[in-house]
Amino acid sequence: MAKGGVPRIESADERRGLAARVSRASLFKGSVAVVGALTGAAVGGAELAASAASGGSAATDREVLTYGLLIERLQSAFYAAALAGGQLTGEARQFAQVVGAEEQAHVKYLTAALGASAGASPRFRFGDSATDPTKFIATAISLEETGLGVYNGQAVSLTPKTLAAAARIVSVEARHAAWARALAGKDPAPVAVDVPIPVAQAKQTFQPFIVQ
Amino acid sequence: MPGSDHLSLKVDDFDVDGAVREAFERMPQHTRAGFLGRTLVAGAAALGAAVAWPTAASAARDSSDITILNFALSLEYLQASFYTEADQIGALRGALAHQATVVGMHERAHVKAFKELLGPAAIKEPTFNFHGVTENPDAFRSTAVAFEDLATAAYKEQAPLIKSKSYLAGALAIHSVEARHAAWIRRLAGFLPAAHAFDDPLSDAKVVEIVNSTHFVTLKEPQTSMEAKPRFTG
Repeated sequence: MAKGGVPRIESADERRGLAARVSRASLFKGSVAVVGALTGAAVGGAELAASAASGGSAATDREVLTYGLLIERLQSAFYAAALAGGQLTGEARQFAQVVGAEEQAHVKYLTAALGASAGASPRFRFGDSATDPTKFIATAISLEETGLGVYNGQAVSLTPKTLAAAARIVSVEARHAAWARALAGKDPAPVAVDVPIPVAQAKQTFQPFIVQ
Repeated sequence: MPGSDHLSLKVDDFDVDGAVREAFERMPQHTRAGFLGRTLVAGAAALGAAVAWPTAASAARDSSDITILNFALSLEYLQASFYTEADQIGALRGALAHQATVVGMHERAHVKAFKELLGPAAIKEPTFNFHGVTENPDAFRSTAVAFEDLATAAYKEQAPLIKSKSYLAGALAIHSVEARHAAWIRRLAGFLPAAHAFDDPLSDAKVVEIVNSTHFVTLKEPQTSMEAKPRFTG
């Protein structure tokens, strides 16, 4: 944990709740990261300009960390479900234990950072995506890669202090993604630069696991 | 920005042959300003992947960002040279050899991206001597673990100090790849790929201290003035 404890995200509109905030969709659209591997998706000029125009703020920090918390809660629940399923063995089981514990630590950290605005966790349902050993690895790769891509995309919009805190989580997510890929027999680092993932795209990955 | 004096000190640490300082001192003031504000786009793909540095944030380009980018370039030179040498020597086998080949490709792509971005302000590549580490699989493995964890920690420290949003995006996109490299080689070395829930940053001073302690970075040719004068024997 950070030496100074958990950074508390404060802002004037903290008590005004959701209504006072910029809609998440427009906020995230404006903060898509601007790097693309030439082998992967490049980001368009409009998004680039929007990115350059937006600046960090406590409200943005909270938006980003709130989505980060959802990702961490989902990942944490996924590994708990996988371990509860009892079908994992060997390194896959070790991976679920180690990574699951780290995602739990991230949940705790972000919950504390967000304070009252953290809200309650949604419920998740993974079915055999978590318990079938082959599906488990594939789903872990998807969740970790998507989580990392979102963090990388959103981190550019954070204030420096919150970025410093988030970066300590981001590289751990990258390690998780690399480890999951290794378990699937894939190169842990497939490209020289990690392509950010827009939140809209990430939602398609996460939504099937969230109980409405 | 706080600590810009502190950061300029760090350039000297890595600017082993004074190339960066010289480049700046040679430029007239107005050229220097124009140079700093110049837009650089790395357009061409090389080695399979490259960072596409965007043009939009060129206005935010400033000297402290250049210092940070050069610091990153120094670390990338070190890593690229290390993996390239290991690859060329060919003493590694199997999964380790594959790791060296793929990661070496990435580090060279990072070098190329930073060099294109920095243009004439790019620090020159120092010469390295890995003292046989690249010829010995065990030594290679543990050195690679140290390098990758070090690079991850270094980028993590520098990222919040970057002013330009597009350079920040680029640094973050490389930061997480360094973390992947760390996880990859840690697994091959029998360590947990992700040993902690939170990765710690490392100050530039500490990074420099660690790199210097390896004695992998050697100075270029001795300065003429420091060489013994040739003796006339006739």
